[in-house]
Amino acid sequence: MYKLIVKSAFASLLRRKLRTFLVILMISTSLWGLLFMQSYYDGMVYQMINNTVRSDCGEVSVFAKDFRQNRDIKQHIKNEKEILEFLKNDENIKSYISRVQSDALVATARYSKNSIVYGVDIEKEKIQGEIDRYIKEGEFGFGAKNRGAIIGYQLAKKLKVKVGKKIIISAQSIDNEVSSISLKVSGIIKTNNMLFDERAIFIDKKKAQKFLGFKGVNQISFMLNDYSKVELFKTKLKNSFKDLEVYDWGELYPALLQTKDMMAIYNYINYFIVFLTAAIGIFGVVLVSVLERLREFGILRAVGTRFKTIAAMIFFESFFIGFIGFILGSILGGLSLYYFSVYGIDLSSFEAALDEFGIDAIVYAIIDIDYFLTAFFAVFCATFLSVLIPLRVLKRSKPVEVING
Amino acid sequence: MDNFLMIENVNKVFNEGTPLELVGLKDINLDLQKGEFVVLSGPSGSGKTTLLNLIGGLDSITKGSISLDSLKIEELKEDKLCDERRDNIGFVFQAYNLIPVFTAYENIEYVMKLQGVDEKSCKERVEDVAKKLGIEQYLHKLPSKLSGGQQQRVAVARAVASKPKLILADEPTANLDSRSASELMDMMERLNEDENITIIFSSHDPMVIKKAKRLIVLKDGEIVKNEITS
Repeated sequence: MYKLIVKSAFASLLRRKLRTFLVILMISTSLWGLLFMQSYYDGMVYQMINNTVRSDCGEVSVFAKDFRQNRDIKQHIKNEKEILEFLKNDENIKSYISRVQSDALVATARYSKNSIVYGVDIEKEKIQGEIDRYIKEGEFGFGAKNRGAIIGYQLAKKLKVKVGKKIIISAQSIDNEVSSISLKVSGIIKTNNMLFDERAIFIDKKKAQKFLGFKGVNQISFMLNDYSKVELFKTKLKNSFKDLEVYDWGELYPALLQTKDMMAIYNYINYFIVFLTAAIGIFGVVLVSVLERLREFGILRAVGTRFKTIAAMIFFESFFIGFIGFILGSILGGLSLYYFSVYGIDLSSFEAALDEFGIDAIVYAIIDIDYFLTAFFAVFCATFLSVLIPLRVLKRSKPVEVING
Repeated sequence: MDNFLMIENVNKVFNEGTPLELVGLKDINLDLQKGEFVVLSGPSGSGKTTLLNLIGGLDSITKGSISLDSLKIEELKEDKLCDERRDNIGFVFQAYNLIPVFTAYENIEYVMKLQGVDEKSCKERVEDVAKKLGIEQYLHKLPSKLSGGQQQRVAVARAVASKPKLILADEPTANLDSRSASELMDMMERLNEDENITIIFSSHDPMVIKKAKRLIVLKDGEIVKNEITS
């Protein structure tokens, strides 16, 4: 029986080949577009988050109590070694860094700007976030005697400095004295983390400690092997070190988290549009198909076919259209996503505008099995809902009337 | 002998209570025995098709009762009625009404598939019926590739393959040439004798009427003649 139901559904689709083809084309192209857009937006958000995590806060950052509110370097982490040892011994920790951090004024002969000085261990920074890959000009290093500084791309632009030029960094030391240090720009970094590109200056960690007059650090960041365990790990850390504040990247950059959530909602709206497109397309085909075949269904009922069997035939018919559209759309979408995940979507011609929003000019698409599962669910719902009205039309028809015309 | 089909005071009114109200059947009473070969005759609009539709449960009775093998048709719910048609009633229509996307074989086996008959038994039965009706060579053709006579044989095969107790044939020879019509009637007669299936035809074809073992003549929705002819 099942074979006949399937055959009937297939055969009726083949009766109007062009119409069926157009609906399948409509579903597959809209699905293709959906997958492409979702992948692009997710790729964009992922890169924004990734840039922030790699350049600044890691997946989790710890600070001395109240440091983030007051930005006072007196509130620094005094037990750095103990915390680093704790992290080192935890198998879920992938990498970690510690930084000295202070608000500062950076000046050239003609310009000055507010900035944040980061005293970093250059080798550990490379491991944690491969931050050296963000270097735009110069080198990711501090040169001989560590007298170099790596500064953010936007900050360099505003100060109108290039690699090799001298800058003076002034900040309040731990003794409340104004302390200054003269360094040469050794590199310019472009992370597309707006805060970083506009304000960050990397200098050698020991030099920063000396310059600011204290031995500790203000920030310890780390990456996890399994991010799903972040909450568990935060709790563990908080319980072990009561005097620390522990934040994940979402708490440190709520705007990014909101962007991620917003994109998720946007993607759901896209799914709804595809769902609606598929539903309307299939509905049109199935309704016409049912109306054309009322007599045929009347005969089936006359010879003893229960309505639910006929409903199954119509549902299969609808499902085939949706499923073939889904398969084609998924193949087209999957291949496109694979291409763009390798080569990226190059929007370099809009780089200046994208920079303003901290978006990379080349966005790499993301491929996630969830895209296809959600799309399948949307198409399945569309096929199911689109047959309800045609079935109602059929239910209300009387076999004797439709058989006799 | 028990009555196989009992029709008691059956009335059918179309568009009841509207200006287009039309009496289709009026106080029809009829008792048939199992294995009868009946022809319903009468002019167009006399109520032949309406009576067949009511017996087959394809249309609803306005008043009265129809019992098929002690089962009251008008009391059955839609699914039960479907099951009753599937298991006990075979239909042969004037316009053949085969499923165009199924081959002749699939059309014949369709009702058996609904009944849940296994593949092997289906095949044996289709081949057996096809042999009796002389359509073995057409089994894998679509209805559109068959002549009218061949399609009607397939329709008959579909009706009898599921071993119904009753076959209702509505003007089955109307679209056939005289030779095909005669062959079809001979086949139906043989099926009636071999398988003891009760067959009710509606027709005003003299050749069909001549074959009847019981002739019922309808006029303006009423039975005007009911006689056993052989």
